[in-house]
Amino acid sequence: MSESVSAPEETASTHDVAIELLVEAGAVLASSLDLTTTMSHVAQLTVPRLADLCVIDLRNEDGSITEVAVAAADPAIGPALESLRARHPLDPEGEHPVARVIRSGEPELQARMSDELMRSFAQGSEHARFMIDKRYHSAVVAPLLARGRTLGALSLLRLGSSEPYVRADLDLGNELARRAALAIDNARLFSEVRSVERRLEAVLVNLAEAITMTDAQGRMVFANQAAAELLGAGSPRELMDAAPGTIMPRFLVTDEHGRELDLESMPGRRLFSGAPAEPLLVRNVVRATGEERWLIVRSSPVTDPDSARVLYAVNVFENITEVKHAQLAESFMAEASRVLASSMDYAETLTQIARLAVPQIADWCAVDVLDEHGEIERVAVHHSDPRRLELAEQLDRGYRPAREDPLGVPEVIRSGRARIYTDIDQDALAAYARDNAHLALLQAIEAKAVIIVPLAAPARTLGAITLVSSDSLRRLTHADLALAERLGRRAGTAVESARLYTERTRIVKVLEAALLPESLPEIPGVEIEALYRAAGELNDVGGDFYDVLPYGPNSWMLVIGDVCGKGPRAAGVTALARHTLRAAAMLGLRPTAMLGTLHQALRRQPAGADLCTVCLVTLEQRGGQARLKVALAGHPPPLLMDAGGECRKIGTPGTLLGVLDPVDVKEVEVELRTGQTLLLYTDGLPEAGRAGPQLDDERLFALCAQASQATLEGMLEQIERAALEHAGGRLRDDIALLALRLR
Amino acid sequence: MGVHDQLRVDVRREAGRAILTLDGELDMASAELLQELADGEDLRGEAMLVLDLQQLRFIDSTGLRAILTTLERCRERGQEFAITPGSPQVQRLLSVTGVAEHLPTIATADGAVA
Repeated sequence: MSESVSAPEETASTHDVAIELLVEAGAVLASSLDLTTTMSHVAQLTVPRLADLCVIDLRNEDGSITEVAVAAADPAIGPALESLRARHPLDPEGEHPVARVIRSGEPELQARMSDELMRSFAQGSEHARFMIDKRYHSAVVAPLLARGRTLGALSLLRLGSSEPYVRADLDLGNELARRAALAIDNARLFSEVRSVERRLEAVLVNLAEAITMTDAQGRMVFANQAAAELLGAGSPRELMDAAPGTIMPRFLVTDEHGRELDLESMPGRRLFSGAPAEPLLVRNVVRATGEERWLIVRSSPVTDPDSARVLYAVNVFENITEVKHAQLAESFMAEASRVLASSMDYAETLTQIARLAVPQIADWCAVDVLDEHGEIERVAVHHSDPRRLELAEQLDRGYRPAREDPLGVPEVIRSGRARIYTDIDQDALAAYARDNAHLALLQAIEAKAVIIVPLAAPARTLGAITLVSSDSLRRLTHADLALAERLGRRAGTAVESARLYTERTRIVKVLEAALLPESLPEIPGVEIEALYRAAGELNDVGGDFYDVLPYGPNSWMLVIGDVCGKGPRAAGVTALARHTLRAAAMLGLRPTAMLGTLHQALRRQPAGADLCTVCLVTLEQRGGQARLKVALAGHPPPLLMDAGGECRKIGTPGTLLGVLDPVDVKEVEVELRTGQTLLLYTDGLPEAGRAGPQLDDERLFALCAQASQATLEGMLEQIERAALEHAGGRLRDDIALLALRLR
Repeated sequence: MGVHDQLRVDVRREAGRAILTLDGELDMASAELLQELADGEDLRGEAMLVLDLQQLRFIDSTGLRAILTTLERCRERGQEFAITPGSPQVQRLLSVTGVAEHLPTIATADGAVA
């Protein structure tokens, strides 16, 4: 103690100052992490207690030296020095003490600096003059050392007549520099970390994809804005503050097949149990709103580098709702198109469409069409829940919409415009309801949203499709509306073509009836049967005809013929042929003359060649005998069959009618005996086999022999069936068969 | 040359003959093709028009009408007309309808007139 008392005054005071300084420096260095501010504070601490001027220089990455802080007792010195240093930076390889200390990492004490010395290390004459003018005379330069690297140097200077520095000042400066260096180092590290973090965060925060990071306890330690939006939180903070396991119950989460998934099956949870975490496609429905999203959830682990333990799971949620909806819509429309193309029965087709729409688009679906009187008729309704289906049916029975109703199905049919009603409230229901019972039914159905689209055919609206969601977990959106409109157009077109087909079939039947006799006349002692089979499904009016009519006393005429072509013109020629022959028969003309008359009639047709082949047979019963006269005009000859099945052709080939002059037709007369059958047929029979060989005489005879034991009706059916089989189910031409058998 | 799903018609002119070779089936669907080709302006200068039916497998009444119409048109413009025999089905139809005897027939398209 005595020694310290006897110690020089300045040393004692220096010691106190040193402790005081270091304490203050500690506070300053801990207080702020802003590098420039901190260095400035450190510099200021030293003036005037330890120095008249304090400069802190830092070494940059490229080795150059920058002054970062200056503090001086004379306020003019700081700015002047900064300006000087900016113009004449220190040469890192030069002899300036700061450069030397930064290179060596060793502190320097320049107790007394001569003008000569200062000139020797100055950065030019201006620098030297500055130092001499400001009367630099003693300096301590200490390296800013941290983690073995020299970050820069702390320079303490005494000017003018101040005491020169001693060894103890060097130690103090060195200590101060060491502390400052640590602070600088920490600040730099912190700044680097912050910058990396900021960059990372900026990336994550701005990603359109939702990202969360969860720990082993299921706590969310990070979430970006997209995640907050996806998971229905106001902000990422709200998500991170939520207790584990409280987010998921807000959603109905299922896989592609509708199976509900729990938290443990999410990839982010599986990572923690060591299970593989394949990307997972999930359907996610917000329970509160019914909003549906399709997400691909990908999770990757953040592991502890030492223990390889999974610390965090980073979960990326890719929202593919639009893609998925488009895909579902496409497959729905493909399925709908298949259904629509499968049947020409439109009521059945629409029922299938209603079934398809539930549950794909809605919870229930009804289809209404306008009937022929313009009234609205319900043709299909489907609901996933039978109880509610009953309600829908009750509603339709009791409150079928009338075509003048201002809203709903009638309005959509009138306007041809689709409607969507979301958030249906009680007031709206009350306004729509006709009475209390109606309102009660409407309420019981619990419709949450309704889409009504027109059943639109190219030229008109045929009806409407109504889609209703009654489940809170299903929301009808404008995407559903667009899909429903497509369905309406597709179904409308299908219904229209089914209707046209039905209509056409009806017209064809009417026309055919005009070409074929309604019923065959009774001929005493003779059985008679006819069969007509149109080729193809879309039966055009055929050119085949047959007729049986009286031809004088005890005489009858049988005719079978084939007019070339199909359609309206062929139908006209067929009618002409049939009626010309009827008139000729009434006049009692001979068979050859009747055919000649028809030929002339056809020749007079203005439109050009109309071919017609005819087989004309007269039957005359006299004195227990039945005689046949057969005349062929380009037509295959009829077959005469014995009861035993023996067959032969009757007649001589003659010229077809309508084109070639002269017509050469011969009559052949034969007797028809008891039990014998005469079969008249058209070309469609021998030509039944399109691809394969036709039914040649041999086959035809064999077929008839087989069928000869059957009733006349049964025989014709057997022949028709055989011809169909021979044709592989598809007839090339119409088949007409006319047969008579003598009892 | 004309091609239809079921019918292929090759057209050639040689030694004063316009020869249409029919390959396939001549029916409602393909008759129009024959009609069109047989009426071709470029064929009218030839002394004779031959329908070569040797490759024709099938014919129905519409096909028959097309042949008969061709016959008629040839007569109107003073052009000779002939066919070659077709498959048994074709020949059967021609004879059943009484048409065969009205159609001049030659053995081969470039052969002698019968």
